[in-house]
Amino acid sequence: MDWGRVQFFFAEVGRSFTRNLMMQLTAIGTVAVTIVLLGSFLFTRATLGAIGDDVLKKIEISVFLRDTAGPADAKHLAAALSADPRIKSIAYIPRSLGLQQMRDRLRGQIDTSLLTTNPLPDALRVRVVDPADVRAVAAAIRKHPVVANVEYAEDAVQKLLRLSDVLGRIGLGIVILLILTAAIIISNTIRLTVFARRREIAIMQLVGASSAYIRLPFICEGFLDGILGALLALALLQLARYQLVPKVAAALPFIPMHATNINPATFALELLTIGAGVGILAAWLSVGRYLRA
Amino acid sequence: MISLRDVSLVYPNGTRALDSVDLEIAKGSFVFLVGHSGTGKSSLLRLLYREQLPSRGEVTVDDVRVDKLRRSRVPHLRRNVGVVFQDFKLLSDKTVWENVAFALQVTGARTKDVMRQVPRVLDLVALSHKSRMFPSELSGGEQQRTAIARALVNNPKILLCDEPTGNLDPANTNEVMDLLHRINLKGTTVLIATHNALVVDRMRRRVIRLEDGKIVADEERGYYLSGAERIDAPAQSA
Repeated sequence: MDWGRVQFFFAEVGRSFTRNLMMQLTAIGTVAVTIVLLGSFLFTRATLGAIGDDVLKKIEISVFLRDTAGPADAKHLAAALSADPRIKSIAYIPRSLGLQQMRDRLRGQIDTSLLTTNPLPDALRVRVVDPADVRAVAAAIRKHPVVANVEYAEDAVQKLLRLSDVLGRIGLGIVILLILTAAIIISNTIRLTVFARRREIAIMQLVGASSAYIRLPFICEGFLDGILGALLALALLQLARYQLVPKVAAALPFIPMHATNINPATFALELLTIGAGVGILAAWLSVGRYLRA
Repeated sequence: MISLRDVSLVYPNGTRALDSVDLEIAKGSFVFLVGHSGTGKSSLLRLLYREQLPSRGEVTVDDVRVDKLRRSRVPHLRRNVGVVFQDFKLLSDKTVWENVAFALQVTGARTKDVMRQVPRVLDLVALSHKSRMFPSELSGGEQQRTAIARALVNNPKILLCDEPTGNLDPANTNEVMDLLHRINLKGTTVLIATHNALVVDRMRRRVIRLEDGKIVADEERGYYLSGAERIDAPAQSA
């Protein structure tokens, strides 16, 4: 390792970075704001997603069997359905248990002692692996000859699926816009530094420095803008995590703020990667355009 | 070493800088390129270090077809061709040593090569004692010698000089020309575009005269003015 070369390179990067310090701080600030918004958005989306998933996971398909069907038919059907990989669980509810559960559910609301006969058929309660499959699985079950009727909260499922889809699309749009804004600001900052160092670049080109060598200090500068901005954002997000989230959770107890399965370390790494990546890409493009001109 | 075949250069605004130029320069030559301003001297030099591409014709430098050279190979060409300008093009925030070392450092030279080469060229241009000074603390001649040291530090085979004495007084001019002469004696091919008649006439080397982008004279031990002009000159001044 030639330390003289390394030292020269980093001295050049440092000189370049500090030449336009105000502009660098602006770029870092913009990246920080972008990453804070991005982080907050991703967290909110994950929380909403967790709530949605929770609701969806609880959706059951109630399969009512024909009066003519006996316990053997029910077991036979359950065995047939369990071969379907989309199905997570099947519970057999004989008509006596069904009545008991109805009594329990309606206790205090109506006088269930009036029910002298059991009007319920034997039933199966089916849960699916992916909530998106509810409709298809229900349709498949309906085709079995022993099945009289199939019920599930169809509207609720469809609305929730649509909502999470729309939220995903809006979110993606916002994220792209935010990243673009940060990229444009970093790109402008780098262009200013390139302009301030145009004499040096001209001499580098004259004495035979390769394009990659000329580019590298600016790429490092973009990387620094991105990574410092992302670190600042992470500090702010961490502050919000410990100061703001508990207060919101206390004020809105019905929202499960910690329901998300976000891993803080992975999340931080992702945001740092996005910050650094945007910085590097923006710098690469703006220097490339200058060198080609 | 340098060869131009039927080379023309027309700028996008329609200006014809060079018109069907044919030229051969042998290895180790010392050549002056003379002519009025705007006759194509600087354009011709720019073709040789691939700052400019010809509109037509072949440009060969050290067996490399410069007009066909891929962009990624241009840095390699430029390490073989040193260039010196009238305005020196030194970095004002770097010392003499740093300006010269810069040319090696940005081409990826090893530190031990930098430590060996920089003192060697500073010694050649007689600036070892001023290596810690900044360009603003030097005379014009010293600044130009620094620029020459930077152009030479990569051991180029060819040195191109575009009006190297244009900003210098006669004493500094002589100093710089003597230096270029010594560099040539060490085997480097030197090509100088100049307006300075005294320098050309004192050195009596090969002189190529350009007019309106064409070579109108090429004399082995020439003068700044052509024969006819030299005869007319006293009459004009009388």
